[in-house]
Amino acid sequence: MSWLTGFLKSTVGRKFVMALTGLFLCFFLVVHLSGNLLLYVGGEAYDKYAHALHSNEEFLMLAETLLFAAFALHIVLAFTTTWENKSARKTGYRKTESKRDDRAFPLLLAPDYTMMVTGLVGMLFLIVHISDFKLEFGWGLEDMTPAQKAGLIVSDGTRLIIYMAGAIALGIHVSHGLASACQTIGFNHPKYTAGIQLVSRIFGVVVALGFSSFPVMAQMYPEWFQFVGTVTTGH
Amino acid sequence: MSHSDQNLNLTLRVWRQDGPSDRGRFVDYKVNGISTHMSFLEMLDVLNEQLVAAGEEPVAFDHDCREGICGTCGVMINGQAHGPDNETTTCQLHMRRFKSGQTIVIEPWRANPFPVIKDLAVDRTAFDRIIESGGFVSVNTGQAQDGNCLPIPRQDQESSLDAAACIGCGACVAACKNASAMLFTSAKVSHLAQLPQGDPERSQRVVNMVAQMDEEGFGGCSNTYECEAACPAGVSVEHIARLNREYIKASFCSTAVPATKSK
Ligand code: SF4
Ligand code: FES
Repeated sequence: MSWLTGFLKSTVGRKFVMALTGLFLCFFLVVHLSGNLLLYVGGEAYDKYAHALHSNEEFLMLAETLLFAAFALHIVLAFTTTWENKSARKTGYRKTESKRDDRAFPLLLAPDYTMMVTGLVGMLFLIVHISDFKLEFGWGLEDMTPAQKAGLIVSDGTRLIIYMAGAIALGIHVSHGLASACQTIGFNHPKYTAGIQLVSRIFGVVVALGFSSFPVMAQMYPEWFQFVGTVTTGH
Repeated sequence: MSHSDQNLNLTLRVWRQDGPSDRGRFVDYKVNGISTHMSFLEMLDVLNEQLVAAGEEPVAFDHDCREGICGTCGVMINGQAHGPDNETTTCQLHMRRFKSGQTIVIEPWRANPFPVIKDLAVDRTAFDRIIESGGFVSVNTGQAQDGNCLPIPRQDQESSLDAAACIGCGACVAACKNASAMLFTSAKVSHLAQLPQGDPERSQRVVNMVAQMDEEGFGGCSNTYECEAACPAGVSVEHIARLNREYIKASFCSTAVPATKSK
């Protein structure tokens, strides 16, 4: 067995890939949310950002390829490892109870026990989200600036439910995922482990609140999301 | 009579399985007048005396030292490995933790690599094979005085000995939702990697032990840390992180590849 196949076949090696792709996706969430927050600054700022992003085609292609690869690897490995982990105990217990005294939630709701569920909800959300913003499927968004498009989509009633569910699921997912990824790649030391755990939880809250803020605010303050401006041609 | 001197009347819901191929079932037993000073295993002894007197087959369970050092005992008690107390083996668990009238569900460790031999006794030789695959130092490293000649930083010494505290009971596997043996395996890897005696073989050791752990069919680690909470020896998940570091380093920065060998 070559060293690399051995590594990628092992439980530890595959969790390493899960962790690296997960951390990369967390980084992407930060960038994505920062970009979105420009909507609160104003339509112009958002349009400028969108224009800058889309005018650099090489960068966009590279970023999208990397993102797609990371998502694909992360999702495929999630399914295979979950399946293997489940089948490592064919006969279950009649009763199970945590012995950890620092659990805030019962096991059925705990972030670390529901990674598959939150990940799946996040994935379903992602499909709708890509269809909305990348493929612009079924919206009739011609002759609109990026900010106007975004405003229209997040103001939609069905999107309120879907985007909020997605944001909350992803928030719960990363609240365990970020700290877990650090442990998996070997970052654990009395000096900073408590810090990582805290940052991970705060990050989860920021993701959940940050991304759900757009559809919620669009319902509460519709005027914030009506952007003026015309499409600049020739970009 | 103080509360702790009361005698308990209990219902025990015990997993009974005649042998490895029997399907098994739960059977309810009543035990009365159990002293709160008894250990959990002494309570099971009372049950077995009762069963033998009635001409029934006693409940098989593993035990040896009964002082918390050998790692032989261990059952799931109301869904918790070694029962409700932290850093406590089943033999060191006392009946004063229970209330009269309570029903106690007693199950064997559950994991495919730990098949049930009979009732509550499971086969843990998978752990022996993980140790055989690398949990040792190949050369004679001398006596205690030779150890004293080696300068080892105190922090490393302490951390290594914390890992060496593992008694191989299997509670970490039993408590893990993935039936993962990472805490056990990491304890041995971490114990030896931090000492000069274990250093020369550290890369080959971690690669072999992880390969054997996977081959036995234990699940992977999801970092839920239930193992740490169930561990009677207080082995920390810091050692799992060290195993991860050792494994990544060994894979990318050494020539070690897993020596493939079967059970
Ligand atoms: S790490 Fe703890 S729970 Fe696991 S086998 Fe060793 S002593 Fe038992
Ligand atoms: S019987 Fe030895 S640790 Fe319990």
